[in-house]
Amino acid sequence: MNIIGPDLLVFGVDDVDACRQFASDYGLTASGDHRFVALDGTGIEIRSKDDDALPAALETGSMLRKTLYGVADQATVDAIAAELEKDRDVTRFDDGSIESKDDHGFVLGFQVTVRQVLDMPAETINAPGAPAQRGVNQIAVSKEDSPKPRTLSHVVYFVPDAPKQEAFYRDRLGFVTTDRFTHVGPFMRPAGTQDHHTVFFIQTPPHMKGIEHFTFHMGGPTDVVTAGTNMVNKGYQSFWGPGRHIFGSNWFWYFKSPFGCNMEFDADMDLHDEQWAAREAMPGADNSQVFLLQYREKWAPMGPPPPKAGA
Amino acid sequence: MSKRVRLCREDDIPDFCAQGFDPERHGFDTIFVVRQDRYYYAYADVCPHYGDTSLPWKKDEYLDAAGDNIVCAAHGALFNIRSGLCTSGPCKGESLRPIPVNCEADGYLWITLED
Ligand code: FES
Ligand SMILES: [Fe+2]
Repeated sequence: MNIIGPDLLVFGVDDVDACRQFASDYGLTASGDHRFVALDGTGIEIRSKDDDALPAALETGSMLRKTLYGVADQATVDAIAAELEKDRDVTRFDDGSIESKDDHGFVLGFQVTVRQVLDMPAETINAPGAPAQRGVNQIAVSKEDSPKPRTLSHVVYFVPDAPKQEAFYRDRLGFVTTDRFTHVGPFMRPAGTQDHHTVFFIQTPPHMKGIEHFTFHMGGPTDVVTAGTNMVNKGYQSFWGPGRHIFGSNWFWYFKSPFGCNMEFDADMDLHDEQWAAREAMPGADNSQVFLLQYREKWAPMGPPPPKAGA
Repeated sequence: MSKRVRLCREDDIPDFCAQGFDPERHGFDTIFVVRQDRYYYAYADVCPHYGDTSLPWKKDEYLDAAGDNIVCAAHGALFNIRSGLCTSGPCKGESLRPIPVNCEADGYLWITLED
């Protein structure tokens, strides 16, 4: 199953205007009537929670209505349809995409991916001992930077039965577990990407079932912190970060959002292939990050301006 | 020991809106007040889900679009405005910590803080 990763997350929200403003301030670009996209065309769809075009909500009221995966080709879509039809309903749409549900009732879609191949440099650094990544006289940063999300990265779900969820994604959709937190759940990647994870499942009581957060990959750690700082300056409130995770090594900064879940910026995630052996660790603060920083308003070690001469 | 703190004029909070306050000058809001007509409900700005994070996604964004529920933006928990009880979301069945609030004859809202 050559699933590449999430192409689109569909939300049915309480406050459409607030969500549109938030998505735009986060750095996504409006596309058509309902979508906001990253540089490679992956993104989110924002509709009012009573919009008839949406799949039904989970009984918990989570605002995430559908996760639409991009896959390599139509043959993969058809293979997924054939696999899922063994034990559940699959809807086929005119555009060639299909829709079904996982074992917890989360609505899943599969389509030939819309993501464009990006051709742009990663954030560059100069380090002693290594060839310079930025040439002479090339500067790295400016106060006006407003980095844009590059691609939809991953989604984290609260699920009442993480082992069952892991089995479904592994056995039916070809996902691989890259790492896991004991008694919490697995980080998983589909076969068509080497990204450490596109999903992480967190075991919770049934009344919590829903989306915990979603995130887009940025061009590097400076982009994460710059984009987050721009959010803070627009009045948005940090939930966790900035910091750097251990599993996946990705930089993170989470913000509370009007989508009923956190929205993260992430960058610089580890890549893995079939040679990788999944690690396991106890959950908790110490194993969740190598470091955690906290935003502070701009400050400098300077006193007030010197008194004017003669004053 | 408890202390009384003057928050704002009664009419500073628009009807059916909420507002955050920083009465102990932490540099961020630690309590919020919801106004419904002549009634005011004050709570600690702490979501019971993890017990140490605040609710809104932006300053003063404590309510859903219709103004019917208090919302924690992190995972969408909904709370009854009058009781503070979480009716849906991760901390269902738990409650926000209420703060005593009064409208005094001087036209100001006063809260009582325990320390
Ligand atoms: S922190 Fe409030 S709902 Fe999770
Ligand atoms: Fe994440």
